Amino acid sequence: MVTALGRSALQFLEYLGELAVLAYDTAESILVAPVRWALVQRQIMEVGWRSQLVVLVTGIFTGAVLTAQTYFQFSRLGMKSAVGSVVAVAMFRELGPTLTGLMVAGRVGASIAAEIGTMKVTEQIDALRSLGVHPIDYLVVPRVLALFISTPLLVAESVAFSIVSSYFVAVNVLDVSGPYHLQNVLTYVGPRDIKMCLTKAAFFAVIIGFVSCHQGLNAREGAVGVGRAPTEAVVIASLSILMLNFFLTLALNIIFPAGI
Amino acid sequence: MLSVRQLTKTLGAQTVLRGLDLEVKKGDTCVILGRSGSGKSVLLKHLIGLFKPTSGEVWVEGEEISMLPERRLGSIRKKVGMLFQGGALFDSMNVEENIAFPLRESGVKNPAEIRDRVAEALEMVDLAGEQKKMPENLSGGMRKRVGLARTIVGRPACLLYDEPTTGLDPIASDSINHLIRRLQKRLSVTSVVVTHDMKTAFQTANQIAFLHEGRIYFNGTADVLRASTDPVLVDFVEGRSGEVS
Repeated sequence: MVTALGRSALQFLEYLGELAVLAYDTAESILVAPVRWALVQRQIMEVGWRSQLVVLVTGIFTGAVLTAQTYFQFSRLGMKSAVGSVVAVAMFRELGPTLTGLMVAGRVGASIAAEIGTMKVTEQIDALRSLGVHPIDYLVVPRVLALFISTPLLVAESVAFSIVSSYFVAVNVLDVSGPYHLQNVLTYVGPRDIKMCLTKAAFFAVIIGFVSCHQGLNAREGAVGVGRAPTEAVVIASLSILMLNFFLTLALNIIFPAGI
Repeated sequence: MLSVRQLTKTLGAQTVLRGLDLEVKKGDTCVILGRSGSGKSVLLKHLIGLFKPTSGEVWVEGEEISMLPERRLGSIRKKVGMLFQGGALFDSMNVEENIAFPLRESGVKNPAEIRDRVAEALEMVDLAGEQKKMPENLSGGMRKRVGLARTIVGRPACLLYDEPTTGLDPIASDSINHLIRRLQKRLSVTSVVVTHDMKTAFQTANQIAFLHEGRIYFNGTADVLRASTDPVLVDFVEGRSGEVS
């Protein structure tokens, strides 16, 4: 039992070490090698543009359901007009970045791990290297940069649509006053909430990028190996997002404190 | 041109190469024979720096490459090209884009020059006019030819072939063997061919090295190999497993 725990702890540390080396290589590549902006653009289309539907549906329905649930609780206390501000703050500070991060990890992380994993087992990565092209420059940097640029925008989009859907549900489906709802959203949401939201999104983007590229680059031979890479990428990236979110909340609350 | 000295490679718990020595002279075609799993491809990948040795040295044109970091291997890889077993074509690109890839990466920007050099490389591998096909629409033999075109388009001084005829029918294999010889004559390249196909060995080699138990067991010409009475070599050349059914 103790041996097994020790082995798991060592494996975990080894994994963190590998991620750190990948992060170092990526930073080195950005500094010493020319960034392939055409590939970054292509990846932004893959990562950002093609994730629109998933992110919009997530934002719209999370905003809607959170509004309804908050309304049911708050209406008993006579605080119906506070629904909008609670939903907006929750979406900006927690649910927007976290849920969008999870959706991006599922859609994009899996795709990156599968694509790079397939390239690994079919010797395409060795072929890249044999042609004098560093795989980090060609595969990892464009994907990580594309995620870093796209994810905050996707999160912002998701949160914006969640607030619109919240307004629609509160005012048109439930009986909240529109002007009060809007006034409370504008009063309680400030630049600090937007900064916290975007900072979290940037951290999650980096996590998704490194975890999924690492899983792809380390995919084992055969269909089982390639099949495992995306699954593990999604699981690890999702769990990392959920855990990191807690620590980011504690840290960022000091920098961007909640409240008016 | 190529020299391997006391090369040892351990993969996991298994030592694949055990102090291997090999020299390949400029312009020669060296065929490395050996049973499946004997470490032929591992040896080949050391020659282009895709593997780092556990110990030993790898010299390419007078430069020791085994300890060079990945970013400094770029200049070596312009001199040494490699054909992978399955072609290793980039499946997101068509034939033309695959072959143009090394040109674009080395800074060639003129579209007309790229187009002409791609067409020339395709003509050399007998695939003229196939520029727009995607890799999934090519047969195994065609993939290898396109892979070879991609390798030679950068005009390397040395070509490494990893199992060039594996998985091909006898006629396609014969065609690839002729192609290797033709390219050798036309481009005057040094070639290292890893195979367990005796026909490829006898058709293309002027030096044959037999890899056995992690070392070069035999190194000589095709005629000397044919005349050998060593049971290990005879069994391999004649394809005898020693089993009785």
